[in-house]
Amino acid sequence: MQVEKFYYDNKIVKMFAYATMLWGVVGMLAGLLIAVQIYLPAANFNLPITTFGRVRPVHTNAVIFAFVGNGIFMGVYYSLQRLCKARMFSDTLSKIHFWVWQLIIVAAAVTLLAGYTSGKEYAELEWPIDIVITLVWVVFGINMFGTILKRRESHLYVAIWFYIATWVTVAMLHIVNSFEIPFSFMKSYSFYAGVQDALVQWWYGHNAVAFFLTTPYLGLMYYFLPKAANRPVYSYRLSIIHFWALIFIYIWAGPHHLLYTALPDWAQSLGTVFSIMLIAPSWGGMLNGLFTLRGAWDKVREEPVLKFLVVAVTCYGMATFEGPMLSLKSVNAISHFTDWTIAHVHIGALGWNGFMTFGVLYWLIPRIFNTTLYSKKLATTHFWIGTLGIVLYALPMYWAGFTQAEMWKQFTEEGQIKYQFLETVTHIIPMYVTRSLGGALYISGVFVMIYNIWKTVAQGKLIENEEAEAAPLPKVAETHGKQYWHRWIERRPIQMLVLSLVLVAIGGLLELVPTFLIKSNIPTIASVKPYTPLELQGRDIYIREGCYLCHSQMIRPFRDEVARYGEYSKAGEFVYDHPFQWGSKRTGPDLARIGGKYPDSWHYNHMSDPRSMSPGSIMPSYSWLLDNKLDTAITPAKIRAMQTLGVPYPEGYDKKANEDLVAQENLIKANLKKDKIETPANAEIVALIAYLQRMGTDIKGEKKQVASLP
Amino acid sequence: MKNLFDRYAWLKKISIVVAIFITPFAAFAAGPPKPSELSNPLAQVMLVVIIGLLLAIALLANVVLGAADLYLQRFKEEKKRSIDAVSKIITIIILCLVSTSLFAQTPGATEAATSTDSSVSGLSAVSFYSLLSVLLLELIIILALLYNLKSLLRKEAIAMKGASEEYAVPTENAFAKWWDKFNSFKPIQEEASIDLGHNYDGIRELDNRLPPWWLYGFYLCIIFAGIYLYRYHVAHSAPLSAEELRIDLAKAEVDKQEYLKRSANNVDENTVKLLTSENDLAEAKKIFTTVCAACHKPDGGGLVGPNLTDDYWLHGGSIKDIFKTIKYGYPAMGMKSWKDDYSPLQIEQLASYVKSLHGTKPANPKDPQGTLYIETKTTSDSTKSKIDSVKVSTEKKKI
Repeated sequence: MQVEKFYYDNKIVKMFAYATMLWGVVGMLAGLLIAVQIYLPAANFNLPITTFGRVRPVHTNAVIFAFVGNGIFMGVYYSLQRLCKARMFSDTLSKIHFWVWQLIIVAAAVTLLAGYTSGKEYAELEWPIDIVITLVWVVFGINMFGTILKRRESHLYVAIWFYIATWVTVAMLHIVNSFEIPFSFMKSYSFYAGVQDALVQWWYGHNAVAFFLTTPYLGLMYYFLPKAANRPVYSYRLSIIHFWALIFIYIWAGPHHLLYTALPDWAQSLGTVFSIMLIAPSWGGMLNGLFTLRGAWDKVREEPVLKFLVVAVTCYGMATFEGPMLSLKSVNAISHFTDWTIAHVHIGALGWNGFMTFGVLYWLIPRIFNTTLYSKKLATTHFWIGTLGIVLYALPMYWAGFTQAEMWKQFTEEGQIKYQFLETVTHIIPMYVTRSLGGALYISGVFVMIYNIWKTVAQGKLIENEEAEAAPLPKVAETHGKQYWHRWIERRPIQMLVLSLVLVAIGGLLELVPTFLIKSNIPTIASVKPYTPLELQGRDIYIREGCYLCHSQMIRPFRDEVARYGEYSKAGEFVYDHPFQWGSKRTGPDLARIGGKYPDSWHYNHMSDPRSMSPGSIMPSYSWLLDNKLDTAITPAKIRAMQTLGVPYPEGYDKKANEDLVAQENLIKANLKKDKIETPANAEIVALIAYLQRMGTDIKGEKKQVASLP
Repeated sequence: MKNLFDRYAWLKKISIVVAIFITPFAAFAAGPPKPSELSNPLAQVMLVVIIGLLLAIALLANVVLGAADLYLQRFKEEKKRSIDAVSKIITIIILCLVSTSLFAQTPGATEAATSTDSSVSGLSAVSFYSLLSVLLLELIIILALLYNLKSLLRKEAIAMKGASEEYAVPTENAFAKWWDKFNSFKPIQEEASIDLGHNYDGIRELDNRLPPWWLYGFYLCIIFAGIYLYRYHVAHSAPLSAEELRIDLAKAEVDKQEYLKRSANNVDENTVKLLTSENDLAEAKKIFTTVCAACHKPDGGGLVGPNLTDDYWLHGGSIKDIFKTIKYGYPAMGMKSWKDDYSPLQIEQLASYVKSLHGTKPANPKDPQGTLYIETKTTSDSTKSKIDSVKVSTEKKKI
């Protein structure tokens, strides 16, 4: 057969590799900043854009979508061409994909720091960016499938199965979770409310971990690990079973983020059992990686690339065992809302994603630059610094999480809560300090890597178009001996795409649809009323400042939480919450029933300087809220958006909303004045106070207290 | 001989899998919807240990069979000795089968057990002892297997020693051997036989078997899922979150009453006394500076809350009034109720501490609020200070 000559596009791989390193540094520095802010409130610099609530989404979005995202594309563009024996489908689409993705990242950083956020974790970006993400994802899809369709390899390798599943599932998750009603150029309300919003969000959030941080990286592992070790993949049938089981089961496990919340019990139980069933499929990937190294362990001792890959795969195994354990209700009752979760995700992020990316970079950069790595010794140094960084990061966080949870749950013999919330926070501050040291160590390792790669690049020369040869795809595929039934689908990428979509859609549909359609899942409560215009405005400020990142609004049915915060939260209380604000971490106390607990002036002083009201608090100051002017011109648009979403404001209320807003504002201002606090008209703080005083009061069976001392 | 042997190995594997599958369901077969003894933590722990030991037995049996296999091969020509070995192995298999079937029956027996007066940690005696006997039996089997394994290995070692003079056999330690068996690894030398002939950019693929422990682990997880859903949503033998809270609160209430009955801590607004000991005031000061200071300032001069050092009181200035104010609060005015946060004794200490602040000169005091309150001490006994209060009411303020 005629052999064809063609060229691999290495330039696009180089571009994604550089972007990976750049955004890795940015994302990790943002992480380091917020790690310091936790024990040093002064590090918030008293500026909106440097305050924890705004930097934290920048950190998470940067490391997930910028660092790991570019890492995925780097690995996919390198391996896909070689596994398909074909150049990428279109150089133009590759370039569009690269530049638009970087543009999205910049836009994300700017808008998040400016306070434009949808208020849903890991999906914070606002609607115009969501649309661009969808478009660029389609570009990536066309480019990827174009390449697959014009391949010169008869069957698809397991790495490509993972790429296909990733593409189709991320598309589904992103589109469903980003349903929102815009009311201005950069702001929107989530289409879903309360319990339903929570379920959709964590169905998305959990599977962002699954299909953005896990499956594409498993694909990378299947390419780069056997390549680096020069060993055959351990078991083909394990690949098949764990791939299909993984994508089918993963999608169901989302509700384990909502155990003991107002989510219906049946959905919680599904989250638990599917998480447990997920252990084996996840471990299938780890085993196939580690067992591939059989007979090559002597190489691991010498080759830093393999060192990184081995630790990455091991961390993957640890995190995917820990995850299901955290999904057991008894463990979750301890771990949830604490730093235990933070430790868990960082085993995955620093160990699995970080180390896998570093390994791939060390392997691929010398190859596309036609040289050898500048210094293996430096790479090994990076490996040890990084490993130590992970340990120093994770151990204190496990300790902190466990200790704090135990303190929360302690009662005195007289039946009183033993520790005030603040005491449980100040107790773990040494752990926070150690954690930031671990993080700093990890980043310094990254700088060592960048230096090493810079030197490698300097001594080599990029092969922009790497020559390769292969025969075109034959009409009838060759067979070698025994054939598995699965070979059939490996030659049909479109069928594989459809089958993957069907499998991942099943879990989603069976959990989401009943929660939306069956009334008994969210029993209505008559006394729960829509927010007043001022409260609605205040709620948007709460979202803008990222309060939900440290304060939950979900009192779980535990003795200690009921004693500390009040009656546990009911599903019917959240029906007007677009988006829900249950939170996932309690760095500060729960706020679900904060309404009426403190006088207005307390909140005023507390926002201005938290430590004046609560000495030792680690909360940043939000003093700009005292002077910022509330944008009341947008109130009608907000009311109309809410009406579209089914919130029962009377017809034409959008025109009268601002009158009610001013009336309520004057009440609060009068209250503040009694405590000698003068506020200018339209100050944002007043709206925020209105919202805080409203929270959780609907089912207290009493009127909202407009409270202050005489 | 070999065939017969294989058939038994196959049978044994099937029987273990079947037993693992059946036992949890057997546990429910007779299970009435009322909370079963399975919810007893001791029973759960014992069951987990039993399952763990069972797995250990399965693995050990597997290893013993493997070792016996080697042994058999080496002495294939010496038939009369191998018959001896096979009989030994068959004994082991029977033991295994007996143990698994016993195990399969036990939880059923647990269910059937009627509640007797003699119970161990809330578990009926019958259940406890039947679980315990299964545990012991499993331990005996493990010991027997270990003994067999050891003797087989010893024979193997002697054989190796003899053989090593003729040809060098790669020596692997016991763990490596066990590990290979455990994962059912194919020796790397035989890799070519399972190479699938795939070649993706130089990456080849082998067709290794699924690691058995992984596969059975997967089955176990699926069984777990079934049992979990059954218990919570069909049999309702495990409490859902709201019920869990009810149980917890009820238990806490009982504990609290028990404690209060036998403690002297039971102070209320009628029996509260002014405490003056340094210790009490120091305890109270700690609480005051961390909690009360937020609204009243660390020196009691008042901020959001009123000044506590002057002569004017919003809700009365006697020790009883202050105790009440702290205990029940005036939520409408921003003072929350602290009775769920602090014990009666602590509130008594706090009230006393507030009284001790009277007359101190804070740095930036808040203006007086409320009514004037003057107290007169009729006696100043060192052990028992009696307080009488006279209210000089100048104005009546409605709260």
